[in-house]
Amino acid sequence: MESQVNLVDLVLMPLIAFIVGMLMVLLMRKIAARLQRRIGPPFFQPLYDIVKLHGKQTQISHGLIHEIGIVMAIGGYVAAVTLLPVPGMNGIAEKGGLIALAYMLMIPSLGLALGVGQCANPNGSIGISRALTAMLAYDIPFIIVVFGVAFMFGSTNLVQIIAEQQAGGIATWGIVQSPLLAIAGLFGLQAMLGKQPFEIYIAPAEIATGPMVEMGGKFLGGLFVMQCFQLYAASVLYTSLFLGGGENWITFLLKTLFVVEIPMVIAFLFPRYRTEDVVRLVWKWPTLIALLGLAFLMH
Amino acid sequence: MSSIDNIPVKQGRTKVRQRKRTNPLAGVFDEFMDFCQARSLFMLHYCTGCGAIELPPAMTSRFDMERLGIQPMVTPRQADILLVTGYVAVKTLKRVILTYEQMPSPKYVIGICSCTVNGGMYWQSYATAKKLNDYLPVDMYIAGCMPRPEAVIAGLRDLRRNIERGEANSWEDYFRNYDYYLGHQQRLFGENWQTPTNIISEAEHYGLLGEGTRGEHTALLDKHQEPLEAQEMKLEIPELKRR
Repeated sequence: MESQVNLVDLVLMPLIAFIVGMLMVLLMRKIAARLQRRIGPPFFQPLYDIVKLHGKQTQISHGLIHEIGIVMAIGGYVAAVTLLPVPGMNGIAEKGGLIALAYMLMIPSLGLALGVGQCANPNGSIGISRALTAMLAYDIPFIIVVFGVAFMFGSTNLVQIIAEQQAGGIATWGIVQSPLLAIAGLFGLQAMLGKQPFEIYIAPAEIATGPMVEMGGKFLGGLFVMQCFQLYAASVLYTSLFLGGGENWITFLLKTLFVVEIPMVIAFLFPRYRTEDVVRLVWKWPTLIALLGLAFLMH
Repeated sequence: MSSIDNIPVKQGRTKVRQRKRTNPLAGVFDEFMDFCQARSLFMLHYCTGCGAIELPPAMTSRFDMERLGIQPMVTPRQADILLVTGYVAVKTLKRVILTYEQMPSPKYVIGICSCTVNGGMYWQSYATAKKLNDYLPVDMYIAGCMPRPEAVIAGLRDLRRNIERGEANSWEDYFRNYDYYLGHQQRLFGENWQTPTNIISEAEHYGLLGEGTRGEHTALLDKHQEPLEAQEMKLEIPELKRR
């Protein structure tokens, strides 16, 4: 019986992640539109885009690795969301824990790098090298934050971390216990989602959307699906670590949508940093803040 | 000057579905696909002339194309619509054709401004291609010098309606009547004209071969066509060599 429940969870959790992820994409595009005093896309726009891109009748593939790269990019996130507990479903979160999750969140970038590499487009290569450098930058504060929280609750088990926060109320939430780690985490989230000050690897006007430059049809559709999962995984992880997870579906959705909305609102205030400046900035400020938070915890 | 017959107007387009479908739900599926395709259009704007000036207001807060699901994209691989705004010189036309052939189908071409319809004020220019639909299958013309954003959006809405009805399939025409388009291209660019995309083998692969795919012009192409080979990888940076 135990394994059956797990199987249902494993099928349902990516599906939910996809649907909530599309909602997040819609939210981001709506916020962008409202900040620019536009009306913005209709409600089902993310779905239309994905269906249309998969329905292209001629597809241009650059080879086997190009296709495997996209599968890896989506697959990494599908594996990651099964490690993220949602209200009522734990999936394999109890067996995986934070360390497996940190590994899983790295797979998509590597898959994308493989896929883009075979396209042999110079813009794509420049884009992906910038994306990997940015990953190198934000992974340092990310890992410090994740393990700081794990130290705070004395466990790398996400289920236990969430249960402890929910049992103690708001006073035991990660954001109250260690606000410095939460701020560093928010910084890392902005870089992880590739939002504006850290948007150099996409740069539509300069390197023609970087990694996406040779992606058309189902490949771009796959990347759109990946974006849904990326937003979901990042915001659910942040919610679980700092905002006590979701007691029920309503608070879960409210919290995750709120977390996603923050980077988007900040994004439009900034132009973008160059790659070396991203590394310098992210290795300096969020890392310092996270280390300071860690020092307070260990004190 | 041009008579009214010279102005290209396509009429009486009918719904053609020549793909073989065995699934009983294929009809429903196709309708759903048309519905989605009509509501999500990624646009590559090839702004050669003054028509480009009317596009920013159509995209930004005043008229906001995104509420119709239309958004700009930056590479031909990602795009559905090729928006040619303004005159196409012989040199630019080569690039437009290369760009068009890289786009994944279904793809649509929109000619904006009277320059794409009949050459407009460049009618007497030796270097300007007059009718765009001699060289590419154009889905929609938006005439005017230049058309206002309202007209552009009205044109895009018409295209959207055509897609939803399944009538906007002139991209198939490029495969089925490739000889016709290639003939016009060869007339301008010379007999040696060749693009990196092999349209005939693509048509074979996707089952889009028509009566007019092969002809005298493609025979000429076969004679001149050189097989495409990957470029040699080499790095030539003088500073590195000197060291």
